Amino acid sequence: MNAYINTYELLCDAGDTKSLMEAIYSKESALVIDNSYIEDASAGLGKMEYENIFTAMDEVTAKVLKNSNLENFHNTLLILGSSVGGMQECEQIFYSEKSFKNIDSNRYSMNALTDHLMKKFHFYDTRALSTACTSSANALLLAKRLIEVEAYDNILVMGVDGLCYSTVLGFYALGVLSDKRCTPFDTHRNGMNVAEAVSALLIQNVKQDSSIELKGAGASSDAYHMTNPDPEAGGAIASMKNAMADAGLETDEIDYINAHGTATLANDRVESLAIEKLFGKSVYVSSTKAITGHTLGAAGAVEAIVSCEVLKRSMIPPQTGLKELENQNINVPLQSIETDIQNVMSNSFAFGGNNTSIVLGV
Amino acid sequence: MKKVAIKITASAKVYAPVKLEDLEEKRIVPNMMVRRRLTRNAKVMLYLADKCAANNGKVVYGSCYSELEETANIANSVLMKELPSPISFQNSVYNTAPSYFSLIHKDQDEIITVSSGMKTSLDTLKTAALQALVSGEKIFCVAIECINIKNIDEINRCTEYLEAGAAIVLEIAQNTEDAKELEDIGIPGVIDSLQDLMCVVMMHEQGTEKILVEL
Repeated sequence: MNAYINTYELLCDAGDTKSLMEAIYSKESALVIDNSYIEDASAGLGKMEYENIFTAMDEVTAKVLKNSNLENFHNTLLILGSSVGGMQECEQIFYSEKSFKNIDSNRYSMNALTDHLMKKFHFYDTRALSTACTSSANALLLAKRLIEVEAYDNILVMGVDGLCYSTVLGFYALGVLSDKRCTPFDTHRNGMNVAEAVSALLIQNVKQDSSIELKGAGASSDAYHMTNPDPEAGGAIASMKNAMADAGLETDEIDYINAHGTATLANDRVESLAIEKLFGKSVYVSSTKAITGHTLGAAGAVEAIVSCEVLKRSMIPPQTGLKELENQNINVPLQSIETDIQNVMSNSFAFGGNNTSIVLGV
Repeated sequence: MKKVAIKITASAKVYAPVKLEDLEEKRIVPNMMVRRRLTRNAKVMLYLADKCAANNGKVVYGSCYSELEETANIANSVLMKELPSPISFQNSVYNTAPSYFSLIHKDQDEIITVSSGMKTSLDTLKTAALQALVSGEKIFCVAIECINIKNIDEINRCTEYLEAGAAIVLEIAQNTEDAKELEDIGIPGVIDSLQDLMCVVMMHEQGTEKILVEL
């Protein structure tokens, strides 16, 4: 049984899917320079316009349901990937009251999000994953496998992360946060932008006219370092190879890679090397994090939606913010390229050396 | 929805009211620099993996609260208007424990981390069963909670054991003969997020080899 992405929607700093794609193709970053999270320092952040993470999830989930062939989600499994879960709300309580006392432990972890959606939409069941920045990419990987073994007909994959002090200051402490809008793959890049998003993709076992097939998914572990990627790019290469093998495709059949491309020195150097070793210049590569920032656990799902749109529009996204390409042996376009696109790969890499790649196609 | 029969080839469990003692860190992780950075969840995971003789292959790890101590350290730093420790931050992600497992055992295979509230260990088991079905391989399935942090009494209303974990090695059974449904024979007082896997370990200890799991 094949897995098809039949409808999707997101909310990020650039707005909904339509607004995001317009921003990507017009190279208009939605990132803002913010002074409210870090004392005496600024940071580039991707901020959504929303009341809270729960209402944002409601809005996106309702839109997907409305645009789907389903009347409700009663026969649908929800798999949600997040790196912070209900942390945003708990942080607010802790910082204002300086105590854990009024924190509801059920609203702290990843299940705070799935429990909320279960109450609102009555899914058949829910599952929450948290592998840092690969969380929702791994949700897609599991969804594909569950459809293939005919365990479920409908799976809603969501990637959700709201901005938290812990993550913004944590990345700042690691020295990887940029005080400007990030510039993936540029020689002079100076780090990433933490961001937030809610994204949802309905994966089904039935092909529709507008379906995008989730053709392949692969994962690996670096087994190298807790935060730095393997400098030989072994883990990144393995996840991409595994995804292509799962899809039954060769390297020359991939037309575009939506890179993890965080714009940290380490990630972009290693990811570029992995792409160079596997593909050379045969594939177009860009990172849309220059528009959205790094939406952490939501990134895999956000960029899967971008990849679906790239396939539907037959238009390679340009690299926003790029002035001087560091690795000259990969093919990063500065302008949008209209071309026939059959297969797109999307990469997600995370702390702990957790790597996941997916392949989408028509 | 689809059910599969899993065969359990190894199991282990631990639990302590406050802190698990003698996790044999020095023997399991001889490298002092690595050992010093391990979180409590990582130490418990490495101990349970050792008991199950699991040191490679696909891993499915579950924890509702995961690295609570590191997260609390970060929150307190922010409250004190100090910069969080980079080590605390890198160790605060939910996949920290299996990542240390991967690092120490040079395991380059897939790692999935499940965090589904009080049904975490059930969903961990389901995910491990799926991974076994798809790959045809043995899967190390483990769920851990270590919530022994300062002021935990302010919010702990769910367990008598602040540190606990359960682990199995499973594969897909060749047939469903003698396969049993999951029995409710967990350990009273252990946090609900671990109870389902605790039940599986208890069933295995009592002689059950095959269990039916809904994917």
